[in-house]
Amino acid sequence: MNLNDQLNTIFREVFDDDNIVLSPDTTADDIDGWDSLSHVNLIVTIETRLGIRFAPRELLTFRNVGDLMTSIRNKLS
Amino acid sequence: MISASPLNIATCCTQLQCDRGNAAKTALRWLSVDGTLRDYSFAELDQLSNRFANVLHPFALQPQSVIATLLPKCPEHFIAFLGTLKQGQICAPLFANLGDLALRDRLADSRARLLVTRKSQLKKILRHQQNLPDLRAILLTDSTEDLAPHILSYPKRLQQASIHFSALPTAATTPALLHYTSGSTGQPKGVLHIHGSLHQQRVSVREVLQLQPDDLYWCTADHGWITGSVYGIIAPWSEGLRQLHYGGGYAADRWCNILSQQQVSVWYTAPTALRLLMREPAEQLRQLHLPHLRHIFSVGEPLNPEILRWAQQTLGKEIYDTWFQTETGAIAIANRPGLPLRPGSMGKPVSGIAAAILDAAGQPVADGVPGDLCLHRSFGSLFTGYLNATAAYQAKFRGDYYCSGDCASRDAQGYYWFKGRTDDVINTGGHLVSPFEIESALLEVAEVAESAVVGIDDDLLYQKIVAFVQLHDGCPANRELEIRLRLHISNRVSTIATPQDLVFINQIPKNTSGKILRRLLRARYLGLPEGDLSTLDCP
Repeated sequence: MNLNDQLNTIFREVFDDDNIVLSPDTTADDIDGWDSLSHVNLIVTIETRLGIRFAPRELLTFRNVGDLMTSIRNKLS
Repeated sequence: MISASPLNIATCCTQLQCDRGNAAKTALRWLSVDGTLRDYSFAELDQLSNRFANVLHPFALQPQSVIATLLPKCPEHFIAFLGTLKQGQICAPLFANLGDLALRDRLADSRARLLVTRKSQLKKILRHQQNLPDLRAILLTDSTEDLAPHILSYPKRLQQASIHFSALPTAATTPALLHYTSGSTGQPKGVLHIHGSLHQQRVSVREVLQLQPDDLYWCTADHGWITGSVYGIIAPWSEGLRQLHYGGGYAADRWCNILSQQQVSVWYTAPTALRLLMREPAEQLRQLHLPHLRHIFSVGEPLNPEILRWAQQTLGKEIYDTWFQTETGAIAIANRPGLPLRPGSMGKPVSGIAAAILDAAGQPVADGVPGDLCLHRSFGSLFTGYLNATAAYQAKFRGDYYCSGDCASRDAQGYYWFKGRTDDVINTGGHLVSPFEIESALLEVAEVAESAVVGIDDDLLYQKIVAFVQLHDGCPANRELEIRLRLHISNRVSTIATPQDLVFINQIPKNTSGKILRRLLRARYLGLPEGDLSTLDCP
């Protein structure tokens, strides 16, 4: 499973929505239920499943899923 | 006492405003997350809500049927809300981030006949369809076509419906609004309010919020909660006032821009949002240009004096704390302009409200002595019942007094001071959350043997949710399980019910009667003395 698929699976699980299809341009405004609390769930799930850690400041720089994926790729490489 | 004379909240918010010469006046300034602005006049609001009332017609609903909405903040909700009331039906706005179990319980308890929602919520609803025999149809706001015989397009039907509708002559005693609230035990209860609540709600707008005809007023509350319905729809529009609504959630820079660029005059928000704003650089906030912002009000949890000082120093404004509950239907006790502020106080009762601090026997206590905060039942916005829970409703009264479940005291000058809850309900980020609902959801996970959920004091949220989990023998506690439990609560109950901390323990402490010792769990979590353990079973 590539990173895009892994992330898509996590998003579907976190937001309980099998119809989510991520693109680099996807933002919180595009997904119902993506509020500050579910965002914490999302980050914790990504960190645990992918074995990475985000710095708090770094989280503030993500404008969309593309930024999030770039950061994850950098950490995994 | 409310008379049975004709009164319809939705008519007062729309048609009456047009009759008074406000037809062309902006009622709703809608700001979407992408920055698009759209103004709706009172005439448009009247016609659109008429259309929705006509949309309901083919369903041949019995009067006082429940129409539920499950939507993020959007104009479609306001239109459905007002149209439902014009039809003489009851609107039940639900918080859009409810999980599927919480949603099922509320839809089943209310016997909702119709649900207005979005496609992304369908999965949750269809999962429990067999438990919702009364639900005749689902109207989707983001589908231009019907998806099934009972899953229908909202925009299509709205467009086809007539703009003409004569609102049914509802009596003031007719139920209009249903909001669910969490208790410390049992299922959430549906709190019923009647059209006659309007009078007291308007009193509070005039006396507390002190809105003026040319104001642009912004209430940030989600309409899944009573504040969103009463102070984000009913009370301001029934007074012919202009409201701003924004489709996005909290974001400091965005909210500050809205306050400044839209020239908001009166802002009604939550302490958690204000505390988040406190974390922004003070210098940046001092540079905000807010000459139009006259007053800031807050609701949901007590305001600590630090916030008041911060607002004075950085925004140059006072924040007025207000207190009410789903059951009271309107602000009951408040600080407001003109009343000298006593930092940390709830303020004084609003006109029409007779508050008292009573002891367990129902007798008034002396000034300064904490007791149960109670309100005489004589005010018009007090709820008229818990749906399907008459005994629970009656249990909320001590003689002629409604008992709020909050502990407070009154000082010699008549100011009230909040002390805490008298039950186990958790107040997190301004939302009341039932430990029972979270514990029930946790027990659905195969590995969980027992659980206990408590509120712990928190600088940001007022209380954070901490869940203690006892696993079945042989089930290992690990990070993956913790995540599964968090997501389970979030998706089954609500995002706001997700614990901030989840602690695996060997045994949930209980007394010899089997009652969870939450006091002991709080003490252990905080590293405080455990106190009297004589009632602890198997210490």
